[in-house]
Amino acid sequence: MSSLICQSLDVSIAGKTICSKLNLELVPGQFWGLLGSNGIGKTTLLKCMAGLTAPDAGTVLLENQPIDKLPRRVIARLLGMLQQHTVYVFDASVLETALTGRHPHLGYWERESADDQQKALAAIRAVDLEGFEARSVTGLSGGEARRLAFAALMVQEPAIFLLDEPTNHLDMKHQIRIMNRVEKQVNEHQRAALTALHDVNLAARYCSHILMLFGDGEWRAGPATELLNQRMLEKLYQCPVESVRTSTGTRFLPGG
Amino acid sequence: MEWSEWLSAIQNSASRQGELVWRLRLPRAIAAWAVGAMLAMSGCLMQVLLRNPLADPYVLGVSGGAAFATLLGMVFGIAVAFLPWLALLGALVSVLIVFGLARGTGPWSGTRLLLTGVVTASGWAAMISLILSLSPDSSLRGMLFWLMGDLSYATLPLWSLVVLAGCFVLTLGLARSLNVLAMGETTARLLGEPTRHLLWLVYLLASVLTATAVSIAGSIGFVGLIVPHLMRLLVGSDHRILIPAATLFGGFFLVVSDTLARTVLSPQQLPVGVITALLGVPLFLLLLNRAKLKGV
Repeated sequence: MSSLICQSLDVSIAGKTICSKLNLELVPGQFWGLLGSNGIGKTTLLKCMAGLTAPDAGTVLLENQPIDKLPRRVIARLLGMLQQHTVYVFDASVLETALTGRHPHLGYWERESADDQQKALAAIRAVDLEGFEARSVTGLSGGEARRLAFAALMVQEPAIFLLDEPTNHLDMKHQIRIMNRVEKQVNEHQRAALTALHDVNLAARYCSHILMLFGDGEWRAGPATELLNQRMLEKLYQCPVESVRTSTGTRFLPGG
Repeated sequence: MEWSEWLSAIQNSASRQGELVWRLRLPRAIAAWAVGAMLAMSGCLMQVLLRNPLADPYVLGVSGGAAFATLLGMVFGIAVAFLPWLALLGALVSVLIVFGLARGTGPWSGTRLLLTGVVTASGWAAMISLILSLSPDSSLRGMLFWLMGDLSYATLPLWSLVVLAGCFVLTLGLARSLNVLAMGETTARLLGEPTRHLLWLVYLLASVLTATAVSIAGSIGFVGLIVPHLMRLLVGSDHRILIPAATLFGGFFLVVSDTLARTVLSPQQLPVGVITALLGVPLFLLLLNRAKLKGV
């Protein structure tokens, strides 16, 4: 199975260091949460890990090969990323858009097969957009567009999921639904996921591992049980945090 | 002419009417079709390239360069037969200027390309105005006709058909990539497209098509803007269907427009660009309105 490895990765944006000497291994069966305050560089780091931008130093290895040496097509079959914003400029139907996930798997002149259609329809059902197949994407609400982008990612069937705030714009029910989907991919299909999140409690509920970005290049990575506690979260968000015991585990609230 | 006269004219190319059909009408109709097809295809490509539904084949200054070179040729009294070559030369020079300035070393920037193209186009427009204001009245009419797009002197060299066919096959091969590109450059990269190469290829394809079309018939407006949209409303946004549909309909649309331009005020000929706008604008608004009612 594929893994994504960061080897002493230095990433910065506009002179601001996001992480220095980051070592991280995304292994199949792991569900990572990426936490950090606004503007700390979560998106930039994800883009770097997807090979969209180059790091200042260090390497990202995909299947033990430097990601910048791999053709985008090969990368796209192994790694999929949900971007933070989904804006559709041109009319296309919901089904057509979900089918774009098959793009890296198809040859130059090849058309989507009946099997591909089934995959797209199943993904559309999974994100609760059933009945929207023929609708134009330009008419979707923010949350619907978000779910469609996630559906397209499912259709892409990557081994590694990079998700940039997948629960943005989503109501509670759909937040859980999406996170359940990712969890299922990780646990049942042995995929690996790294998910930037602002909701600490979603991280607490789903993630097996946590990567924290503190700014100025400082980072911590490890099992969620070790890192998700009041002291670390107070340091991370620089605000008082209260921890609450619930029937499903410890949860966190902003303190007074 | 009656149908029987048409038939005999077509069968007997040596007769006066036969000669009219074979030597004048047919080449002009084929030229009109090819130009319309090229402009429509180029419009589809430009709209995806700039991710802007308002883009047309001329937005990046290709036609400006062609117009400047042609008008300059007219001023210096260069033979009409050479004007298409001048137009082609001007268009290609403009493409090279924009390409060279916008390319840079960094990542692809649609904004930089758009700004470079639009500013270059404005530069050409200023030079064209200068030439027009300095030209004697006697040559103004011909110049204005050319600027509005005119098929009266159009001849269709064989190489332009090769360009059309070649670009069509290439574009059709890229069609699924264009679908992905329409969703944004980053999305396209994440779905496996080497976008830097793809975008320049799309730009070059669109430019070559526009340059060829402009060299044949001047800058005929509206075909490249309206036909892609009309076809999007009718057949949807999948470029595997949109590209052939726009190409076919673009050609058809211009043949009809040119026939009208030739006959409406006959023997007076109108510039075909006026007809494409007069036909295209209401047709487009009508369809857009109907699409809105359907809730698309």
